[in-house]
Order: sequence, then structure tokens, then C-alpha cells
Amino acid sequence: MYQYDAFDHAFIRDRVADFSDQVARRLSGELTEDQFKPLRLMNGLYLQLHAYMLRIAIPYGLLAPRQMRRFAHIARTYDRGFGHFTTRTNLQFHWIKLAETPQILTELAEVEMHSLQTSGNCIRNTTSDHFAAAAKDEFEDPRPWCELIRQWSSNHPEFSFLPRKFKIAITAAVKDRAAIRLHDIGLHLTPQGFDVYVGGGMGRTPALAHCIRRGLPGSRLLGYLEACLRVYNRYGRRDNSFKARIKILVNALGPDEYKRQVEAEWATMDASRIDPPSDEIERIRAFFPLPDLSDAAFDAAAHARAETADPGFARWVKNNTHPHKRDNHVSVTISLKPIGGTPGDASADQMDVMADMAETYGYNELRITHEQNVVLPHVARADLYALYRRLDAAGLGTANAGKITDIICCPGLDYCSLANARSIPLAQEISRRFEDARLSDKIGDLQIKMSGCINACGHHHVGHIGILGVDKQGVEFYQILLGGRADEKAALGVITGKGLPAEAVPGAVERVAQLYLKLRKDDNEPFIDTLERLGREAFAEALHEPA
Amino acid sequence: MSRPNSSYEPQLVNRAGDVLGDDGIETLDFDRAVAELDGLNGSYAVRVEPAQDVRELLPYLEHIARFDIVFPGYRDGRGYSSARILRDAGYKGALRAVGDVLRDQVFIMLRCGFDEFLLKDRTPSETVVAAAKRYSVTYQSAADAATPVWALRRAGAA
Amino acid sequence: MKLLTANRLSDGVTIWYAAEGWVEDAAHAARLDDAAAEALQKEWTQRETEVVAPYLVPLRDNGSPVQREHVREFVRANGPTTGPTRDALARAFARQDVFED
Repeated sequence: MYQYDAFDHAFIRDRVADFSDQVARRLSGELTEDQFKPLRLMNGLYLQLHAYMLRIAIPYGLLAPRQMRRFAHIARTYDRGFGHFTTRTNLQFHWIKLAETPQILTELAEVEMHSLQTSGNCIRNTTSDHFAAAAKDEFEDPRPWCELIRQWSSNHPEFSFLPRKFKIAITAAVKDRAAIRLHDIGLHLTPQGFDVYVGGGMGRTPALAHCIRRGLPGSRLLGYLEACLRVYNRYGRRDNSFKARIKILVNALGPDEYKRQVEAEWATMDASRIDPPSDEIERIRAFFPLPDLSDAAFDAAAHARAETADPGFARWVKNNTHPHKRDNHVSVTISLKPIGGTPGDASADQMDVMADMAETYGYNELRITHEQNVVLPHVARADLYALYRRLDAAGLGTANAGKITDIICCPGLDYCSLANARSIPLAQEISRRFEDARLSDKIGDLQIKMSGCINACGHHHVGHIGILGVDKQGVEFYQILLGGRADEKAALGVITGKGLPAEAVPGAVERVAQLYLKLRKDDNEPFIDTLERLGREAFAEALHEPA
Repeated sequence: MSRPNSSYEPQLVNRAGDVLGDDGIETLDFDRAVAELDGLNGSYAVRVEPAQDVRELLPYLEHIARFDIVFPGYRDGRGYSSARILRDAGYKGALRAVGDVLRDQVFIMLRCGFDEFLLKDRTPSETVVAAAKRYSVTYQSAADAATPVWALRRAGAA
Repeated sequence: MKLLTANRLSDGVTIWYAAEGWVEDAAHAARLDDAAAEALQKEWTQRETEVVAPYLVPLRDNGSPVQREHVREFVRANGPTTGPTRDALARAFARQDVFED
């Protein structure tokens, strides 16, 4: 992974000093709360229901074991012993003290971590493919480009006060595991260069991004992004924060006109000053070699015996491993969705276990996914049983990756001051409803995504089943959406039926799942395919109790 | 409790920290400048609001000694683009940040090409000089002379 | 009647205005008549180095927050309703949950 040089260290040192000074001036009154708020947001600090929430950046989801251990230390020392991994592959702590934040940031900087631009009206964390460098369908490892963008966007002087937040995602594979069409800018790297998608997003006015350029050479990427950002900075709406994202601008202008303005702007820029020469991306790329993967032969017979002896292990292999470029390796998904647990949460002890497992079996590499799970991208198949036993002992062995109990869920009204309704208790109820492993395996791949409010941090627009908390005079109600997809066939879910009270939702989901089992053409037709084949209306009635 | 820094009367300072007086240049609003500068002699200042397109004034730069770029609220970031566009176009005159101009934005204003600040601060001169040194590292090119890190790396300065 | 609540600046902790001043335990929150509540809210909005975003919570006759605000203020007063910190505030303050319906 990328290693900081003296410049990178100097930058985050300066950043910590800058923010520490701002905190001191806020505490003394020299800065008003109104003036301080965007500054603290640009350092990842929200004020929530219980205390400050600190959102730590995990650039493109990549973590080293020592960084995961530092999270555990911060959880124990400064918070309540656990953290929450988010759909933008960052980490949140919910009980942070403002006065302690400079010290926390100093300790993060020691392991090359920061909270830069994880909130605020600026360029946020660039996210990517959690199977990068491991998946067979990948053209190229996208992560060097993520790092290039991360540096370019850090403290960018022109784009620190945008109309609203700005999110970028990159993939370089056939399958889209980063939901690029749901981002302000989505980049798809192909052999011909970058396909540039603009204007996607969720929230009040969800939209899929439009492709405005195909085959953009990597050597021109940053300049093109500058042009895209400048047009947005100048012409994005500033009169109404609900209409301030770039998707509104792209929709208002039309993608062709937006593209015309971007490319006119691009033509005025001096590329030689903005686009680094190729040695910079090559320098970064050198930090992302494929690990020296073991040649250990995979003993299929021994593995089969282990699976027979331990059916839980067999399930876990079937559900939580993903094929790897090398036949004797797989990528492993560590589920942070235990039955009845808080989706995406990990205790400090569990963080330490994951760090240990990455060191022992995972070539020192961990990834956070936008589905709030953790991936060990490279694991020798010969090591799977030993790894599974250690994970299972730590409550990290739930064999439900991509299944109905692998629920994506925001913190909701139990933590977040923006929420309309609680989300976690309902996710826990639904999870318990399907805890029978045979049932959930029979249902197969089915993505439930839940948000406690329209800000859509739970990505409910792109769940196969989406659940949105709404406020009905202070009573928590939930709208169900059907048919969303976050992959390369991206689609927005459609609200189906009336809002339901919390106690009615698990039953509604169960009836939908049972109807799917009845209607699917065979055991191999996944839920989303059946839904698309038959249409939402076929499932709408199932949402409500039979008369 | 200290009084907010922004409660002090704005003072005009340049990037060197010198307090500036009235330079006596007549200030035109944007629409008048666009309509009339072509036919005028001498040098003027032009006031640019965030929604106004500075490129409309590029044909008249030789008549413009100073731009007053307005930040009605410090969160309105359009002035950064206006400034940078002017510097990219070769404008060599004064770029003055006016409006809700506060200490914590001076560093990035300097990077975007501003060289004068109507700054609300207890110690505006010291603040502007200190702001230039807030960050020793710049990752990207902007309108200033700072070398982006990728270029320093090329030059072997790591 | 109303409650006055805010977050403390230095640590962000949720606080409630009580007879003895700001407290962390919502069970001690003072029920204020509307005029006193407005005046206090105005005063504390100015005291930015102590509290952040003070606001008023309207109460029902039984003394608990109006329906519209009930879940939110219940969570603020008692902590998250699920997870490892469930009941932590009740235990810390040696009381049952407040604002029960």
C-alpha cells in the first residue's frame, strides 16, 4: 500500500496543527460555531445526538494491520470500545470529545491516517473495488488512481467550498463493485482509458450518472476532473442545499451541455501544470505490487474433509469467499453482520483479531467494503479453515456475505441527528427473522439496504429491497423500495406500497422472500432477476398483510 | 470568552501584511464594466459578485487595475474560481477578496491568486503573513507559485 | 411547558437545563414555562463557548416530549436503544429510562 514520504507526513502534520488551532479558537470564542462548523466538518467531526462523531478516512477502503490496531486503541481510549464502518468505507466513532480530537488526529497521523475531508462541502473519500488486484475480471488495479486523486483533492484551494459534498468512485473491472453510477463522478477504467460518468447520487433526488466522456487517457485525468469541479463550483446551486449536488446541475443543463462546458473549461487549462507526468502514477503504482503469494498447494481432499466435518465452515466457504486470480487463493469477506448485531460495527477486540488475521493469513492487507464488511483480498485456500476458526471464535465468522441477513444499514436515529427514524433495531429484527441458515441460503443473494432518512447513507435506493425511515408525526414509519441495484446494471429502487410501521416490516420482507421462492423459475434465478422478470407489482401485494 | 475575530472592523491588507489605504481607483460594478470599459480610458477597479462570469471582462484586462471579488458568505466558494480564472488568463493586477473574509480562508485565497484582503481579524497584518505558511506542502497546482508535491518529487527533493 | 437542551461544547455531551444548571441526566431536566424557556434559550444561544445549539423541547401534559420529538429525545436522554451501550445511561444515573411513553 501507499507509504507516506516526507511531504505526505508534513501535510498531515500541518493539517493537525491547523485544526488544533481552530479548535482552540473555537473553545476561546474567537471563532463562532457558524464559522467553525465547516472547518470541523472538513476534519470529519460532526455533532450528533450523544456527542461528537469523528469520521476517519480509510482511503479507497484500504487498511494495514497496524492501522486497524490503532482504531482499536482509539476505540478503547477515546470512545466506547467499538467503531462503525460506513458505506463510504470510512470509520465512525460516536462519543468523541472536541477537546481530545487534536490528540486523536496526532495518533492517527503516526500510522498515516487522517480525517481529512470526510465531511463538508468538499471532495470526499474516493472509493473503489474491494477485490482490487485480486479479482479475475479486473483490467487493472484502480487503487493507484485513487491515491493520485486523493492527493490532488487534499486541501484543494479552489474546491474547498463547493455547493455541496462531492464523491468519486473508481472501478476497473467488468463487474462494478463500487457503485460508480451512484456517485457525483464515477470512473470506469478500461483498456481504452477512463469512461467518465457524472451526476449520480442518492438522497432526495436519486439519479444515475451519465457518461460524458469515454476513453479519457489517465495522463489527462486530473485536468478533466478540475474542469468538472470548476463548472460545478461556479454553477451548482447555492440557494437551496437540497438542490445543490452536481446531479441537479447535470440534469438542469442536460449532460451534453454540461460536457460542453466542462470541455470548454478544460481547453483553457494548462495541462502541463495540472496533470502530473506519468512518473507520478508509476511512482504510486510501485506501492501496489501483487503480494508474493504462497505457492502452497491446495489440498482439495483435506479441505473437503474439513467441510464435511464442519458444515458451518462449508457454508462460510461457499458464501464468503470470492474467486481469485490465482487458483490456490481466494478473497475472503469478513461479515460485520452477525445475526441480531449492529450492521457494520466492530469491537476493539474484533479489530485486533482482524489485524492479526490479516498478518497471519492475509498478506497484511484489509479492505473495507461499501457494504460495511471487511475483506482479506488474498488468502491461500490452504489457510481457510484455520482462518475461519479464528474468525468464528471472535464473532466474525457469519456466513452471510451478500445474503438477506447481510444488511447494509446506517446508524439512524439511535445516533444521528439527521435521522427521521431508527434503523438498527429494525435491521436486527429482520436479521433474526432469517437467522435459519438453510432458509437464508435458499433465498440466496438478496441485498437489503436501510437508511434512517432521505440522506441515504444506507444506500436504500440501490438495495434489491430498500427500506427508508420516514417521520409520520413522530411515529417511525418505513417505506419499502424494490428493484434497486448498485452494480454495473445500476438501477434505482421504486417506492412500493404504503409506509409501514416498524413491527410490520420484517413480516413484509418475509412475505416478499417467500413469494420469490415460489415464483423463481429455478433455484439459480437470484431474487433481483425474478423481480426484474416479473416486475415489482408482482411483489407489491406481498408487502401488506393478507386481508 | 474572547470576542469573535470576525467582529473586528475589516482592514485592508496585502499579502506582505501592509495595511493599505484607499488607492483612489474608481470601482465599477460588473454590469457597467462589461458595458462601458471598452470605450473608457485609464484604469478602473471592478467588483465581481459570485454569479458573475469574470471571463466577460477578459477583453478589458488592460483597463482593470484591480478586481474586488466578493465573498458574501465565507461558504460561497465561487470567488476562488473567479480568481484562478483571471490568473490563468494572465491577469497581473490586484485581486482583492472582499465580503466575509476570514482568517481560515486566507491560505487558500492566496493559492488562488488573491493578493489583497479586506479582512475581519484582530491582527490582520500578522494573520495574512502567518496564513501563507499554514501549509508547507501543496499537492496541486493553483494560481500561486508553489510547486506541487509531484513536481518536487520529480526534482528529487523528497 | 418545555425543556431546554443542548450539547456541551468541549465534549459534545448531551445536556439538559435543570434547576441547578446544566446536567447530563435528563431525569433532572427542569420543566420550564414557555416564557422562561424562550428567555433561557436566547441567553444560552449567545454563550457559545459553553454550549452548542440549545433548543426547546415541547412537552405533553405527562411531562414527556411531544410525539413529534419523542423518539429523538428519548434516544438523547437514554442513549442508543440497542447495542453495547443500551442501558448505559440508565445504569450510570441509577434510574430507569426517562421519557417512557
